[in-house]
Amino acid sequence: MNAPATALRQTVLDRVLGDFRGAMDSPQSRAAARLAELGWPSARDEHWRYSNLRAFEQLQGFRPPAGGVPEAAAAWAALRAQMALPPAPPGFERLIYLDGVRVEGQHRMQLSDDAAPLLAAHLWPAEQRLGLLCDMFANDVAQLQVRGEAAIEILFISSQRSAGAAAYPRLQLLLEPGSRLTLIERHLGAPDSSSLVACNLKIELARDAMLNHYRLQQYGRHCLFADTLSARLAQRSRYTVHCVAVGAGSARTSAHVQLSGRGAAVVWRAIAVGRGEQVHDVALKVDHNAPDTQTDEMFRGIAGERARLAFSGHIQIEASAPGSQAQQSLRGLIDGGTAEIDLRPRLEILTDEVRAAHGATTGRLDEDLLFYLLARGIDRQSARALLKWAFLGDVLREIELPSLRVEAERLAAEQLPDVTGLGDLL
Amino acid sequence: MNSSAADTAGSAAPPAKIPMLEVRDLQVRVGGQLVLQGLSLAVGAGEVHAIMGPNGSGKSTLAYVLAGRPGYEILAGSAHFQGRDLLALAPEERARAGLFLGFQYPVEIPGVNNAYLLKTALNAARRERGLSELDAFEFLSLVRSKSQLMQIDDSFLGRGVNEGFSGGEKKRNEILQMLVLEPTLALLDETDSGLDIDALKVVANGVNSLRSAERGIVLVTHYQRLLEHVVPDFVHVLCRGRIVRSGDRTLAVELERRGYDWVSEQAAA
Repeated sequence: MNAPATALRQTVLDRVLGDFRGAMDSPQSRAAARLAELGWPSARDEHWRYSNLRAFEQLQGFRPPAGGVPEAAAAWAALRAQMALPPAPPGFERLIYLDGVRVEGQHRMQLSDDAAPLLAAHLWPAEQRLGLLCDMFANDVAQLQVRGEAAIEILFISSQRSAGAAAYPRLQLLLEPGSRLTLIERHLGAPDSSSLVACNLKIELARDAMLNHYRLQQYGRHCLFADTLSARLAQRSRYTVHCVAVGAGSARTSAHVQLSGRGAAVVWRAIAVGRGEQVHDVALKVDHNAPDTQTDEMFRGIAGERARLAFSGHIQIEASAPGSQAQQSLRGLIDGGTAEIDLRPRLEILTDEVRAAHGATTGRLDEDLLFYLLARGIDRQSARALLKWAFLGDVLREIELPSLRVEAERLAAEQLPDVTGLGDLL
Repeated sequence: MNSSAADTAGSAAPPAKIPMLEVRDLQVRVGGQLVLQGLSLAVGAGEVHAIMGPNGSGKSTLAYVLAGRPGYEILAGSAHFQGRDLLALAPEERARAGLFLGFQYPVEIPGVNNAYLLKTALNAARRERGLSELDAFEFLSLVRSKSQLMQIDDSFLGRGVNEGFSGGEKKRNEILQMLVLEPTLALLDETDSGLDIDALKVVANGVNSLRSAERGIVLVTHYQRLLEHVVPDFVHVLCRGRIVRSGDRTLAVELERRGYDWVSEQAAA
């Protein structure tokens, strides 16, 4: 019964591996070999159950657009004139990558010993194996090394050139001890036929470093987005992430955060708003490997129409991590007849001295809340919109950069047609 | 917009002669159980009515049915508000027509700001009445004066609706909403429950400040103590889904003294 599915997976893998077979030894070919070894993910595997793997079967190609940096630069010169870029937040240095190739801004990485682990070939684990695609095909990489304080915005733009092809944005980020970075990472653009964007991010926070990371994904619906993130936190470092996912036809985020040093902390905030046939799937794994480490996760998802959302939050507290704290709050709001939301909280605790709490709920709009608003004379559509907005507010309110919060709110509101009518909402 | 009932009454007829709220023989089923069993009630403009009754007699059901909460099956009877068929209107239309329900258990809505809710609700009501919407400044000065009366701190306005409010604060917030919206008919469902004596006085002051010749007020309550501060013109006893006895304020005092069994037994006899 499973033969056709297996055959399809094999076909996808064959197409992906293509001319890597028999290629000379290189980081790319080693990534390909690793993928060949792991195989193409299967929906029968718990880690990939909610991903839209079918979308990969329908892709026309896995190669990035032909040509290199000069071609990308020329394409950018033409595109830039007609594309309305989001306003740059004040005080931020901007880098722009077109279809995975840098076209504006500067890298900053001294290839010091500190950077060595970051630059080494990464053995993406099986549940993050799509990160290998980027290592195989990317022809550029954003490398950032931060000392002191910095504010950087990276735009990963997918253009018409990648229609029927693929783009591979890649980011390697190193925060030196005690440094602070506010990073805005935006994914945007809309090729008019199906295309893949597979990105991978490797993040190293040295001791006492602090990273505020904002991720806005607003690709067009023809895009299939495979997003892989790996972060390692040394002692007392702090990683705060705000993810706003509204774009792409299908999106999968595979994230892994390792709290490796004593007192390291991760705060993960995510909203996903899907409509139409969108499929958004996030698998976040946090490993507490050191004492007194902290995780605080919050997910809010709204699935309208026929959209499907999934969030899997797996927190593992090792025996080596006494004194750790973990909090997880996952909530889904189903707002369409055949929409689906799957939340999978999972706390695995291998030591005694921990404080952990988690909750996951999925449901439709609360009728009692709705009636309360109606009974105050607010029309049904606005009342529903208000409640949906309030639901996302838990995460949106925490975005500290005002201009970015407005942008994030606008993106979310665009996915919720009744909300756009509310005007001066907050 | 006006219903035909008003026309048939004749345009020259003084409005006070038609009850503002007229409920006739209302029968309502909830969850398979007949809760209102032929309830009739008429409330005129300028009147304050108290509806008292033991637990489970149908008091809250009456308030909810009149406000339009879903889940109630109306088997028979009618309810008219200013001549309009109330039961045919959606809950938000009833509210905009001037009916206000003060909830027994006001819900918390984190993320929806109190001030935003009030402003949206007020402007919806004003549009309905053909009045212009208030701008931010006019709105704030109005709300500030009303919140002072209700002894609600300004900072509450910036918080989520009832978010983290104590029971008493929630009830005061209900009355604040009522004062801002200035309804024609207020149904207050056990607004006194869970209030200490100071809060009860604040709430009673708020309700009294709204008493006027144009307005009707229905107090649904289990105890007589609110009625010491908001003196009703009429008191009705609701028992097994029917009004079994009506009288003036002295009825409430007698009920307090003799208990509900006294009227239930009389009604059964």
